[in-house]
Amino acid sequence: MPVRVSESSVPSQISGSSSGQSSPPACTLLSVGQAFSGTQNVSSVQNNEAWRVNVRIQGCDLDHGYLCGTMEALNVPMADTPVVTFWEGEIVDTKNYTFFTGKWDATPEDDIRHWTKFQSFSPLMNQAKVDGGKSLDLSNYPYIFMRWKEQYFVNVGTDCGLTIAGFYYVCFSCADGSINGFYYDPNSSPFQKLELKSTNEGRSGFSFSSYELQ
Amino acid sequence: MSLPWTVIRQLAEIEDMAMSKKVITREEWEKKLNDVKIRKEDMNKLVMNFLVTEGYVDAAEKFRMESGTEPDTDLATITDRMAIKKAVQCGNVEDAIEKVNDLNPEILDTNPQLFFHLQQQRLIELIRNGKIEEALEFAQEELAPRGEENQSFLEELERTVALLAFDDVSNCPVSDLLDISHRSKTASEVNAAILTSQSHEKDPKFPSLLKMLIWAQNQLDEKADYPRINNLSTAELEDSSV
Amino acid sequence: MPTSGPNNKPEDLIARLSSSDGEAKLKSLRELKNQIIGNRTKKLSYVKLGAVPAVVSILALAVESGDSSASSVIIQSAAIIGSFACGIDAGVRAVLDSGSFSILVRLISHSNNKVVDAGARSLKIIYQSKLAPKYDFFQKENMESLLSLLNSEIENVTGLGASIITHSCQTSAEQKILCEAGVLKKFQKLLQGSQNQRDASLESLATIIKNNPVVISEFVEADNRQYLRAVIELINDRYYRTRLLACMCLTAIWNTSPSCLQDVGLGTKLIMILLELLDDPGQVGDDAPFALASLIAEKEDMQKLAFEMDAVDKLCSQLRKTPLQAKRIQGIFLALAELCSKLEFCRSRLLYLQVLELVTDAFAHDSSEVRIAACICLKSVSRSVKSLSAGLFMNEMILVPLIKLLNDYSCSVQVAALGAISNIVVDFAARRPTFVQCGVVKQLVHLSTSMDSTVRVNAVWALRNLVFLADGGSKEGIFLELTTSTLLSLICDSESPVQEQALGFVRNLVDGCVESIDYVFTEDGVILHAIGRQLRRASKTEGMYVLSNVASGTELHKEAVLHQLLPSASSGAQSFLLKFLQSDDSRLRTAAVWSVVNLTFPCSPGAYARVVKLRNAGIYSQVKHMVNDSSLDVKLRARTALGQSMTFGDSST
Repeated sequence: MPVRVSESSVPSQISGSSSGQSSPPACTLLSVGQAFSGTQNVSSVQNNEAWRVNVRIQGCDLDHGYLCGTMEALNVPMADTPVVTFWEGEIVDTKNYTFFTGKWDATPEDDIRHWTKFQSFSPLMNQAKVDGGKSLDLSNYPYIFMRWKEQYFVNVGTDCGLTIAGFYYVCFSCADGSINGFYYDPNSSPFQKLELKSTNEGRSGFSFSSYELQ
Repeated sequence: MSLPWTVIRQLAEIEDMAMSKKVITREEWEKKLNDVKIRKEDMNKLVMNFLVTEGYVDAAEKFRMESGTEPDTDLATITDRMAIKKAVQCGNVEDAIEKVNDLNPEILDTNPQLFFHLQQQRLIELIRNGKIEEALEFAQEELAPRGEENQSFLEELERTVALLAFDDVSNCPVSDLLDISHRSKTASEVNAAILTSQSHEKDPKFPSLLKMLIWAQNQLDEKADYPRINNLSTAELEDSSV
Repeated sequence: MPTSGPNNKPEDLIARLSSSDGEAKLKSLRELKNQIIGNRTKKLSYVKLGAVPAVVSILALAVESGDSSASSVIIQSAAIIGSFACGIDAGVRAVLDSGSFSILVRLISHSNNKVVDAGARSLKIIYQSKLAPKYDFFQKENMESLLSLLNSEIENVTGLGASIITHSCQTSAEQKILCEAGVLKKFQKLLQGSQNQRDASLESLATIIKNNPVVISEFVEADNRQYLRAVIELINDRYYRTRLLACMCLTAIWNTSPSCLQDVGLGTKLIMILLELLDDPGQVGDDAPFALASLIAEKEDMQKLAFEMDAVDKLCSQLRKTPLQAKRIQGIFLALAELCSKLEFCRSRLLYLQVLELVTDAFAHDSSEVRIAACICLKSVSRSVKSLSAGLFMNEMILVPLIKLLNDYSCSVQVAALGAISNIVVDFAARRPTFVQCGVVKQLVHLSTSMDSTVRVNAVWALRNLVFLADGGSKEGIFLELTTSTLLSLICDSESPVQEQALGFVRNLVDGCVESIDYVFTEDGVILHAIGRQLRRASKTEGMYVLSNVASGTELHKEAVLHQLLPSASSGAQSFLLKFLQSDDSRLRTAAVWSVVNLTFPCSPGAYARVVKLRNAGIYSQVKHMVNDSSLDVKLRARTALGQSMTFGDSST
């Protein structure tokens, strides 16, 4: 049973500073090697279907607000095998990246519209609308916001019938490692929801491994 | 970094000007030329610089007496340098090497490429004089070790040694090495090295000025019609043929 | 004229040196001089034949005689000695061993300026070698002599003064005393002198200011920043060598006291000039990449600037020119390594330019310095997780020559290769079998038992990275190759960094499927016990994570961990878990509190009993203090742990 957070966890605003010098918490549940699984629901007007999705974090560079990993989608209609993509993430740490995407055909309005779908975003919304959240200090905020952009297909060709032209708005909960996201692509059905939980791969507890690059 | 707005505006103005060519008459041009003031001392220095760098010792000495312009190097060192240059140009490379070492023993010790080229020239002179046996021995004793010491010489070394393989050297693929111009090339290299060691600029300034003149005229040609200097030796203004 | 003939063998020439006839002696001296100048091969053979002592004794005699006619002999002998000492270690040694040094020093005070010049020049050359005797700046007379050298009108004498400083100034105390003696002002004057004087001053200046913020500050402020201005102007000098030396001076300032250089555009200028100097075919072009590497090292903003000025392309195109001197290749690889050390777009560009083949070719280069530099370059590029993920380095072309370097005779090469291998073995897509095929596991295990601790730590590091996310089969293969006993000795290694990497290895080993945890239980749990012992001795985050990972397993595993964490009542020792929970290091606190979470994970049968034991050991009192820990991670896990402890109904915490 999750413990109720007794105090308010609205992030502090550093008064008088023009850019927040914060970095997201080093959260062990989002470190390299960690795996997540769940679903992406691809509902359209006709049907309500969901793909099983597995994600694994491969790289993490907090100084540059960078994350990367793979995403595997199972029971995808057009494919015989699971489809694996490699994605790179931007962490909204207000130092390297703000809530405004500034690329990939996403306007600030699109940005706010998507971030607002995460409950944990509401305390931040007003400031984010003004300047993308540049002056916010998110270093103690128990949620990490990211954008994940798939870069290429790992195990299938680009003719597999799937597109990776869009990107995900992602919200990660530091408390329990759960991930929520929405896929944004002007040419796909909107607001496809990604819901993942941290997997412990059959263990009774959480296990963490790591590598260190020289 | 980006261009500040003032520069962008200026570039835009220049572009506008370039659209139409301006015409300048000879009268206007000559007047503009006359308005530019050049100091005599500057011209004298240029001349002295040319004479010194090219090694015209007597002329430099005379010019100094007549104009009172002081050379920026000791004229005595020019004599040494010219003797060395001449020795190479006459094919007396060994003599040149001895003189260079007398002048400054560090030059050849710190210029492996120059040393290699001098040895190479020695070999060429031996071949030119038909002393093939000596040449072979020299190549083995003196030239081959240079290739061992420094791999970047190997290609040139191979070319030079190839001379030994041909009976009729004047008609072989590497016959250019026997040109007198090759001696001049080596001589220039020595001259430059000596000048550098004496902290003197190795190229005279005068030719650079002329190059600048040609370049400037070429640039101006795109924008205006004006009297040009087409003959550098006469420096006469010639009306452009529109 | 041939160089060897009936009378012209080297031995004969040496013999003729001691001719009693003055003319013949002088002639022989000149002949010897002209034979050796520029000729490295001849110098070495003459040294072997004992020419140096012969010449030195002639010099000594001539100096003793005091004859004015002896000047020519002195000048020629001095020139010969200088030439022997030029660029050849054996020559310098012979020159020093023969006692020429003190004789040359006497020449500085000779009445004949040409003699002074010759003596100073040869001494200057000797001081360009690191074998020259160290100059003691702390002796008053020495300092006075040095200052008078710098005051001289003769170029070679001031050059000597400068090269003494360049050679012998090594400590900050020496820098300080030189600065206090007013040497900076002397250099300022010499910077207005000839090209040789400027170059010599710049080189000396760099040694005096290097890593010394106090001296730098004095230099920068001197004469209303005019000294600094003078050096900055020299980066545009017409001589390439001067430009390079001026850049190196400014880089030395930048690396120590960047705030002193307020000129914003200077960084760009320095990079631009150094990139231009790469085109010089001579020594300046060889040295330029080293200067560039030093300038951009650890400075992301400079690396970005350099990238925007096409540094990657320019350096790579230099690599393609053949043949290249070893020094230049080394410099270029080191510069590329710095460029790619932090920025992904630099690494992408380098990979795009397809120079990996040149890197792998360099693994077989004759020079060990080049081999090391190539490994460092590959190590830097392989920091790209994106490339690792795509398996870009996972091919024979790279692996085979790289793994060969693990057998290199040079330890430094082995270490450099291990550095690159540590990165390349990070494998996300089960390509590990390729490694096993290439025999890398065997090699790494072998090197992990090396006598050299640097080799050991890097080998274990590579193994740790190799076993990250490894599948069961690979883990088994690696573990069997390593053996329990080797792993144990690594966990208990005399060097702490080796222990850390060994624990990291175990942490990765027991991650993944639950069965992996059994590795620490082999041979009666000897590995688990060893880890517990190590943790009782010293705080180790990796070790704590091993226990935490094991505690995410079965009941048996959890009990074993608890046993390690909580000391038996009889020992009376404080639990190290408590100590770790109170640590200043947030990562250690995180690992410790995760172990509590795992031990008391809901739905495990013995969870409640463990909660009680932990509570009795005072653990929960500590955890309560952590619900508002400064680290978000720790805070959240502490709350989870508390929450879990309360799900069993008993609220008497």
